[in-house]
Amino acid sequence: MLSKVFATIAVVITGGLLLYGVYDFPSFGDPNSPPNAGVEGGGESVSQYFITNTYKDTKVPNMVTAVLADYRGYDTMFETVVVFAAGVAIFCIMRVVGNANDPRKKEEEESVHSFTYGDHNRIIIGTTCRVIIPVIQLFGLYVIAHGHYSPGGGFQGGVLLGSSFILLALSSDLNSALKRFSEYNYFKLAAVGILIYAGFGLASQFLGENFLDYGVLQPLLFTDGPEMARSHSMLGVEIGVAFTVMAIMFSIYANLASHGTLKDGL
Amino acid sequence: MIISIISAIFIGTGIIFFAGAAIGIIRFPDFYTRTHAAGKGDTLSSLLVITGFAIYQLNGFESFSENWPILLVILKLLGVSIFILFTSPTATHALMDAGWEECSKPKIKEGRPNHLGEDSDQF
Repeated sequence: MLSKVFATIAVVITGGLLLYGVYDFPSFGDPNSPPNAGVEGGGESVSQYFITNTYKDTKVPNMVTAVLADYRGYDTMFETVVVFAAGVAIFCIMRVVGNANDPRKKEEEESVHSFTYGDHNRIIIGTTCRVIIPVIQLFGLYVIAHGHYSPGGGFQGGVLLGSSFILLALSSDLNSALKRFSEYNYFKLAAVGILIYAGFGLASQFLGENFLDYGVLQPLLFTDGPEMARSHSMLGVEIGVAFTVMAIMFSIYANLASHGTLKDGL
Repeated sequence: MIISIISAIFIGTGIIFFAGAAIGIIRFPDFYTRTHAAGKGDTLSSLLVITGFAIYQLNGFESFSENWPILLVILKLLGVSIFILFTSPTATHALMDAGWEECSKPKIKEGRPNHLGEDSDQF
């Protein structure tokens, strides 16, 4: 009870600070705000700069992807870290490891035997999911790889890939999904995703430029110019984001659905 | 012109079925009949509307070498409709299955013959 009071106070304070921060923003659609009109005496506005220069700088037609993964790539990297931290937090709160006296564990162990798989007929759901899960995964890969040209990218494709595993866990049971994508593997994959992102940043730093300044990766990626190097690095970065998002999506589902025991689940 | 009319017929029929599904969800008496209205109506009407969109795309089609991107759009729309054809009935089935597991009771008039007792002893 007391912990709930403290949690409520913490949430209210955090929310208040966030709302206080929003006051500094210009009002919606304000033509005189810095993004629309530019800083006083500072030349063209930010929006105008992106509209004019995105294709010239990066050869990426989808401006949103270019801004997200290149111009503000540092921010996006830590967004991915936030996703990873959310997964680790859920793991720390929910996961039941080894403690035999935990009441939740005993309860779950009893329920394993009461759950019978042939209880109701799941042949229709099982068959359909077996057919459409590969299609969903293929579409997820398409969304990741096509993020430069159409709406999409790492976050969206990662969510699609993660939801395909969640669908597998829902249609059969959690154990058969964990057999294909175990706890060890999904946390490894989540960390590898962030490593890929940070690796692109470090590689450009080693070649003598700023962190995440992809243009200098041109000799490593065998491209025609720094613009194409930026374009290709963005794809690599998106793949890293997709790894993390996919793994963390599934980890959150697995922990929440089974009360942290990773047994039979819903 | 004729393509537009055909696609309008498809989309209009789809919207009529959508309306039927919406009315069915509100007016039917119990969980199973409502789910049945939603599943059947939504599936058919989505298929009809998306097929209507696909036919409408044919409007500007003159030669394959110039207008092939239109075929790409049609292919994507047909892919969406096939996806709905598979998933929507399955989702309805899963919903009804969950309702049956939770012992949602079908509404049957007094004295009408039914097979509930033979199939399951949960009621």
